[in-house]
Amino acid sequence: MGQCLRYQMHWEDLEEYQALTFLTRNEILCIHDTFLKLCPPGKYYKEVTLTMDQVSSLPALRVNPFRDRICRVFSHNDVFSFEDVLGMASVFSEQACPSLKIEYAFRIYDFNENGFIDEEDLQRIILRLLNSDDVSEDLLIDLTTHVLSESDLDNDNMLSFSEFEHAMAKSPDFMNSFRIHFWGF
Amino acid sequence: MKYLSEWDHWKQYSSKSWKRFLEKAHEMTTHLEPWRENIRNIEGKFGTGIQSYFSFLRFLVLLNLVIFLIIFMLVLLPVLLTKYKITNSSFVLIPSKGIDIQCTVYPISSSGLIYFYSYIIDLLSGTGFLEDTCLFYGHYTIDGVKFQNFTYDLPLAYLVSTIAYLALSLLWIVKRSVEGFKINLIRSEEHFQSYCNKIFAGWDFCITNQDMADMKHISLQNELQADLEEERIRQKIAERTSEETIRIYSLRLFLNCIVLAVLAACFYAIYRATIFSQEHMKKEIDKMVFGENLLILYLPSIVITLANFITPMIFAKIIHYEDYSPGFEIRLTILRCVFMRLATICVLVFTLGSKITSCDNYTCELCGYNQKLYPCWETQVGQEMYKLMIFDLIIILAVTLFVDFPRKLLVTYCSSWKVIQCWGQQEFAIPDNVLGIVYGQTICWIGAFFSPLIPAIATVKLIIIFYVKEMSLLYTCRPSPRQFRASNSNFFFLLVLLIGLCLAIIPLTISMARIPSSKACGPFTNFNTTWEVVPKTVSTFPSSLQALIHGATSEAFAVPFFMIICRDKRYLIQKLTEAQKDMRNRLD
Repeated sequence: MGQCLRYQMHWEDLEEYQALTFLTRNEILCIHDTFLKLCPPGKYYKEVTLTMDQVSSLPALRVNPFRDRICRVFSHNDVFSFEDVLGMASVFSEQACPSLKIEYAFRIYDFNENGFIDEEDLQRIILRLLNSDDVSEDLLIDLTTHVLSESDLDNDNMLSFSEFEHAMAKSPDFMNSFRIHFWGF
Repeated sequence: MKYLSEWDHWKQYSSKSWKRFLEKAHEMTTHLEPWRENIRNIEGKFGTGIQSYFSFLRFLVLLNLVIFLIIFMLVLLPVLLTKYKITNSSFVLIPSKGIDIQCTVYPISSSGLIYFYSYIIDLLSGTGFLEDTCLFYGHYTIDGVKFQNFTYDLPLAYLVSTIAYLALSLLWIVKRSVEGFKINLIRSEEHFQSYCNKIFAGWDFCITNQDMADMKHISLQNELQADLEEERIRQKIAERTSEETIRIYSLRLFLNCIVLAVLAACFYAIYRATIFSQEHMKKEIDKMVFGENLLILYLPSIVITLANFITPMIFAKIIHYEDYSPGFEIRLTILRCVFMRLATICVLVFTLGSKITSCDNYTCELCGYNQKLYPCWETQVGQEMYKLMIFDLIIILAVTLFVDFPRKLLVTYCSSWKVIQCWGQQEFAIPDNVLGIVYGQTICWIGAFFSPLIPAIATVKLIIIFYVKEMSLLYTCRPSPRQFRASNSNFFFLLVLLIGLCLAIIPLTISMARIPSSKACGPFTNFNTTWEVVPKTVSTFPSSLQALIHGATSEAFAVPFFMIICRDKRYLIQKLTEAQKDMRNRLD
């Protein structure tokens, strides 16, 4: 446990974070606590950055199969400042609006970062979801074909952002599953 | 550069403060939400399917509490205020005219028992000292409550409270099912569980437990493989030859007849058990032994519980031979179990109804119902509902204590035995548990008219069930590899609840409109049937209002009104499909 003081955050900063994110007061203070536990002692929280490994090892992300993609999308220059962590928590909070979640989900699922979710990305998503070593080629190709036939509207074998948005707007489970409530230890 | 005028400044500031205020209020109300931490904990450990069961349970606790508040405000409060002399009011008792004196005889059973266990029997069956309390309909033999400035019409209030709680339940359930439910209503079944949904929204990001994560990976694999398998089977079905189709359909017809026969047998057993129980309840109680007495009182409940235990197993066996796709198999089995569970209550109520309105000779013309055996029939129906409710609670507690926990102990300490290993640890069966609480809720809806305190008992019962099921889940269950999706679950639970509500409304309307109300007890002694209060009240309104009401309820108005509403709904759905086609065209 670091030597950082517990309530280092000024009241005005708390109000500002509340206004700029979808998080409630208690959630912001909880994240602040967690951040302080991870940062080196004696430093001001606004000047410290966390590595991607430190954020990946938080209980909220530890077992998530997409944690490396999440860290990559929300970090800047491969490190997390306090505001990056807040931004990440805000997107995953319960109160966040669907369009924001869909935008970030698209970026997380776009493994090769070419602006589209193509077959290669889909296969990697499925492998991450199943987390097993012996997934048959047929299963992968079958599933990829099905996903594309449902959501690829312009038949270019890839999902653009608007196609993904349209598919997620119809999906009944998306809002329920794309959220994280607890960022503490 | 545009500068904001003073007015725009103020508008922006006030809208921001308003938003801030709403957020604070919202945050405070979420703190008031009961059991929030418990449900979050369950979600993290067992997934959103089981969490939706507990959210559903919480919703029912709230619903029952609100129903009780309605009944309390409209019926109980004036009576209690007058009885305990809190306000300066008095009861208005209008003597009944034109009714045979025999119909108004109501002997309160004082069997002169000196055994102390009679109190236990009374508590468990609602007879004896409980019969005359405000628990049952018979206590409210009051025609009005006279306050200083006005007279409170208690019969009208009693009827209005019944209609109010039924309408409220219907509206609330429909609102809740529409809230979380997407436009998928208009699309076919396949798209509802589409591959997009399962791949992109398949992972529950709120899982924090490694075991739960492993379980989720396995369940996703099973689910996706099952879906592909289902599609292969569907193609196979489409390629069937006509000979095979005829064979399958005749087999299905035969098996459905067996299902109907099983249902008929169960209903007949419940019918006979109810008649036996009603006939023997009237015998001298002190001639019977304690256990025998209780057995006879609870016989209908016992038969219903046994039937509900055996029939799902029979249905599960039968459906194997019917050769449906796996998804349809599950849905049909659940549908049959739902029907079975809820229809048993209706059979019980109709048996009681037939006993109440059948007399061996001329005595029925006297009062319209069998007043020798049932001088206050509403109270007795209320007692049956009360017994069902208590027995249901006892069974749930007994099953948890004597089946779930020993099973867990056996699996933990005797895991070397082959049998125990095969049987394994318990999985939380969502459909069975949901049917259980919908069954209890249907009893509550039917019983609340005959016994105004039943919603309060139901609230307490559901709270107990919440904690018992939570403990059972956390200490004895393992996560199931086959998982229910949250979106499916919510819709399924509310659909089953809606079926229960519709099945509860039927016996209530028949007893309110057709069966003459008791002349010996209750608020409706001066009316032919319960419903008669409404026309009598309307006839006291000014004539212009009367004409308006008559016009609004006549066929000439109601039918076109109904048609307009249907047309509007269809128009709405049409607009939504058009919007979707429009999107497709734009992207092409």
